[in-house]
Amino acid sequence: MHPAGLVTAAVAAGLDAVAVCDHNSAENAGAVLRAARATGLTVIPGMEITSAEEVHILGLMPSLEAALELQSSVYRALPGRNDERAFGLQVIANEHAEVVGFNQRLLAGATTLTVEEVVAAIHRTNGLAVASHVDREGFGIIGQLGMIPPNLQLDALEVSPRTPLPEARARFLGEREFPLISASDAHEPKDVGRAVTYMRLEQASLPELRQALLGISGRMILGGGKTMEDLALHILDIVQNSVEAGSTVIEISIAEDPATDTLVIEVSDNGRGMDAESAARAVDPFFTTRATRRVGLGLALLGEAARAAGGELKLESRSGAGTRVSATFRHSHIDRAPLGDIETTIMVLMASHPDLLVRFRHSLGTLWYEIDTHELRAAGIDLWSPDGLGALRKAIRKGEADLQGAS
Amino acid sequence: MNVLEVARILSGKLMTAADNAGSCEVRGAYCSDLLSDVMANSNESDLWITLQRHVNIVAVAHLKGLSGVVIVNGREPEAETTARAEAERIPIIVTALSAFEAAGILYGLGIRGRGSA
Repeated sequence: MHPAGLVTAAVAAGLDAVAVCDHNSAENAGAVLRAARATGLTVIPGMEITSAEEVHILGLMPSLEAALELQSSVYRALPGRNDERAFGLQVIANEHAEVVGFNQRLLAGATTLTVEEVVAAIHRTNGLAVASHVDREGFGIIGQLGMIPPNLQLDALEVSPRTPLPEARARFLGEREFPLISASDAHEPKDVGRAVTYMRLEQASLPELRQALLGISGRMILGGGKTMEDLALHILDIVQNSVEAGSTVIEISIAEDPATDTLVIEVSDNGRGMDAESAARAVDPFFTTRATRRVGLGLALLGEAARAAGGELKLESRSGAGTRVSATFRHSHIDRAPLGDIETTIMVLMASHPDLLVRFRHSLGTLWYEIDTHELRAAGIDLWSPDGLGALRKAIRKGEADLQGAS
Repeated sequence: MNVLEVARILSGKLMTAADNAGSCEVRGAYCSDLLSDVMANSNESDLWITLQRHVNIVAVAHLKGLSGVVIVNGREPEAETTARAEAERIPIIVTALSAFEAAGILYGLGIRGRGSA
């Protein structure tokens, strides 16, 4: 995709930041940065470097200069010339979608740099080194090497859209607790923003991301997932409705019952509610009163997801008396969307609105756990603080583990 | 020897391009699991023996004009790999044998490596 096309797609997907990481090259990064200047989008220049062992490592760089310096090191270690018949034209484009040249190097090939040398080269130029798609066998560090080398100074592990974060945490966090990020690995505009990472930052920039990965100065990785698919992220979108309706109390419940093969999601709030006419239009994808909607079509999409899985969406609301949204699904239906990362839903909600009173309940058969922010506050946990959010995260993880462990 | 015969010799399953396999002549063979290595060192009409099963093996086989790909250890190609291989008419054989065993059998039948390209 061309630089301006990437920017358009990223803005349409509601992203605050996008990293552009071509294989073994950063020659298009400048054009992406320039194309984004007129928008509010932050562009992080970078590269996806192929090590000699055919492990893909992302370099996320603090500036275009740093990216081009890293590129020099990579080019020096990259043998071979491109075969256009096999790999296509390697276009270098400007921000006006004009071709300015073709890269003749074999960008689809491997450098002669070991994975340690790749990480060192990224760090020498002040970038962040992230192991690409660790859940994938091909070109993933664990797929290629059988493990993450014990002393490799990676800043994070990236998980592809294929693997939900809860599963990734179980598989990839062991002795070394790397931060996990979720990303689209988009190779074409339609895939931009299909998976994202949510972070608590002052602004979208690389130094902020660096702090978030380290979990310092209040910056945090909150979670991630597939924006248009994961039910956990549908819930996050619906809850924004409740917030905008002036709610102070929101109840979220997820009830999974294998015995009756049902999954029921309910969100209730004490916001200003809707009159009958608005309630009827609320599930129309072209109707929104929200000025801040950026991702998803909220109720309409959730309704579609429910119907696709043999269920339905019910909306009850009265002016001045709050709203209740209830979505049912046949749990085992082949088209039932994945639940995704429920930790992300609660963490993003509470990090954005620490004052809210939220009661969250997740049940699986006869097992269940509850998170009640009123109770957390009563126990001295301050959700305005990073420590408080950390405690919330621990509580959610314990609840989820108890549910999954016993099943 | 052609790829159809190789499938029989290795007690393998021909997964793609079954109609084409009989006309794919095997002139040599190469063992490697690093794609960049195969790109650098294999020869046209070589049979490639590997455990890789992701879609990029098809691009490499097509690029180098390999006669076919043998995936070892009973590993099945990914769905995308099968689709691409059918489209490019590249025969893929899956065998339960290890790379060593498969190579040994073929070597015993007179298939030789042809050195680096």
